[in-house]
Amino acid sequence: MNSEYLTELYSNTKGSSYQCDATNRIIIRFGDITVSLRITDFLTFKRRVDSVDIHTMIFNTDDAYDVEIIDAPRTDQLFVLNLCDLILLRDLLAGTRFALDLNTLLHERIYNAVVY
Amino acid sequence: MKDLVRMRTSLKEETERILNEQIKMEAHSSAIYLSMAAWCDRNGFDYSAGYFYKQAEEERSHMLKIFKYVSDLGGTAVSPEVTNVPQEFEGFRDVFELALQQEIAVTNSINRIVATARQLNDFATDQFMQWFVQEQIEEEYVARRAVELFDVIGEEGVGRYMIDKAIPKITYGEAAE
Ligand SMILES: [Fe+2]
Ligand SMILES: [Fe+2]
Repeated sequence: MNSEYLTELYSNTKGSSYQCDATNRIIIRFGDITVSLRITDFLTFKRRVDSVDIHTMIFNTDDAYDVEIIDAPRTDQLFVLNLCDLILLRDLLAGTRFALDLNTLLHERIYNAVVY
Repeated sequence: MKDLVRMRTSLKEETERILNEQIKMEAHSSAIYLSMAAWCDRNGFDYSAGYFYKQAEEERSHMLKIFKYVSDLGGTAVSPEVTNVPQEFEGFRDVFELALQQEIAVTNSINRIVATARQLNDFATDQFMQWFVQEQIEEEYVARRAVELFDVIGEEGVGRYMIDKAIPKITYGEAAE
């Protein structure tokens, strides 16, 4: 990865995220997993992570609800998440999304503003 | 830093979400009309069955219209899961009252989308939704007229038979002026 094209978007205790302007991809590093996603796949991945029913994970004592397995679209990476991981991954993706939206806003209001 | 999200789609996340909800609502409407058609069929209301079959088709076309809009703008259109479709109804009149209620719910939902689009300065979605605003005037008009027939004709004697025959003749526009 060429760092001149990389911008860090967000980070927390378990991971960090970057945008790569050379490949137009979002890079998510979480624990020891790194995936590089196209923007649509990032959005799909975020939806998947957000749609996990945390309530059931907490209150259902069945072993099957202890971990959640989520695959990142079009990668062969599986995220095996316990409750704590899930919350941290959600935070990472939400922070990333926020940074992306903030960037959109900057483009809208500043970079694209016509100056005469 | 490139604006990757905007390069991908002009739809805001919130707009995409509510449009997908509307897709689901139109699909649900279509499914309800289909079950109403079946109910009318098995209870001998032939013309009303035909009317509801037509409505079911129409709702599906509404669903597709929004679906394609979301897709065309680079968003993710979600093929909806349709659940909770009632299969039984209390009676002939109830079917039409439920249909009217359904249309009113759709109108409210469409209005909320327009309000959100305006709040977000999403003029494309605002304009796109105007077709639906207009369509709902017609949809509610027809549904309301249908319910009114129950009072105008009355259900006694051959009433239901007459109502059934009158249902497909309800039109909005020139013919009804
Ligand atoms: Fe509709
Ligand atoms: Fe309708």
